[in-house]
Amino acid sequence: MLHEFDYASPSSREELHELLARHGKSAKLLAGGTDLLVNIRAGLSRPALVIDVKKVREFKGITWSAAEGLVIRPAVTINEVLADKVVKERFPLLAECAHDLASYQIRNRATVIGNVVNASPCSDMAPALLCLGAKAVISSKRGEREIPFSQFFKGVKKTVLAEDELLERIVVPASSSGARGAYRKLKRINGHDLGIVGVALMRKDDRVSLGISSSAPTPVLVEGLGEGDEEAKVVAAARAAISPISDVRCSKEYREFMVETYVRRLLAEVK
Amino acid sequence: MRINVKVNGRSYARDVEAHKTLLRFLREDLGLTGTKEGCGAGECGACTVILDGRTVNSCMVLAAETDGSSIETIEGEAREGRLSEIQEAFDRHHAVQCGFCTGGMVMSVRDLLVRKPKPTVEEIKEGIEGNFCRCTGYQQIIEAVLDASGQGAGPGALKIVDDGRRGHV
Repeated sequence: MLHEFDYASPSSREELHELLARHGKSAKLLAGGTDLLVNIRAGLSRPALVIDVKKVREFKGITWSAAEGLVIRPAVTINEVLADKVVKERFPLLAECAHDLASYQIRNRATVIGNVVNASPCSDMAPALLCLGAKAVISSKRGEREIPFSQFFKGVKKTVLAEDELLERIVVPASSSGARGAYRKLKRINGHDLGIVGVALMRKDDRVSLGISSSAPTPVLVEGLGEGDEEAKVVAAARAAISPISDVRCSKEYREFMVETYVRRLLAEVK
Repeated sequence: MRINVKVNGRSYARDVEAHKTLLRFLREDLGLTGTKEGCGAGECGACTVILDGRTVNSCMVLAAETDGSSIETIEGEAREGRLSEIQEAFDRHHAVQCGFCTGGMVMSVRDLLVRKPKPTVEEIKEGIEGNFCRCTGYQQIIEAVLDASGQGAGPGALKIVDDGRRGHV
């Protein structure tokens, strides 16, 4: 049973901004619902108002242009990312991460933006977005602001979003087009599961970047590495960036070991 | 609030509470109890239905969100008292034991066969990855899907070898 709440489904962004400005404190945004409705059911979230973002006209679809880059809007599901030809050709790392997220029917519903605003340390989309240098375009009735994803997460389930704001667009810059990359996610079972650790590695021009999930309070970006760097230096940079805990899934030491293992494997695999 | 939905081809106009899930709406308001609640959190897939052509966990969808939508549930599989090909294949291959997962499982298979009329074993495994079965075991289910998609495999013909993979280790 879910507690009683009101439901609104605005059809324009202005209407949505107005609702957030008025009710932001007691409202939650609903996109795929695959995190929100589970949290409500568990009593972890008790919004008085649930605002469905899927009917907002401007919030649909993925677009690509060399000038703007790849733009992902709030109603875009994980399976839409997987079906997108531009993503497949230009940003394969996004598809790698999307493919490892939950089960097929959850991917039909769960959204990319929902996955990041939930700000779970084990977000599967964050490692790719961090590596690719994506930007978060945040909007509210007060206006729009833009920040790099590396500044978006503030802690476990915490982001920079204020109560009246939403993450309206994710923009992956055209300069990351053609980046090679792969994602390795350790799970307890071969089927769908939350990650124990996840590591994305991206190579673009002479740069090497790592995006790591489930190994710190937030997903982590490791930058400043180059093609000339030895394996030991990349592994050390990954180790320095993470601060895993021991929990119900595994120990801190095992997480550290597996992050190192995946970094080594990815360095060999992604050419 | 008032919603208009089409379920298994039949139109319904109903008042629903904003906090009612699609799963509870189907079971309690429309009496379609073939869709089951297992975990209520998107893990098990027993509540899988097809919403506007895509499988979803109906425990994680609000009925209010489905206004104007078309929904298919397990009750829509059999037509005029005759089981569908998928249901017959499940029957032939003993792909049903307690049956609790079967409604959702069949909906995932229905959707898979629309997308991939001749799925490989790997594709079948991925197609049903969001549907847990805790008693039949998956081998008979995979056999049934191969059979329903015209890929032969009589009961027991398929020997699926556990490749021992666990995650990416």
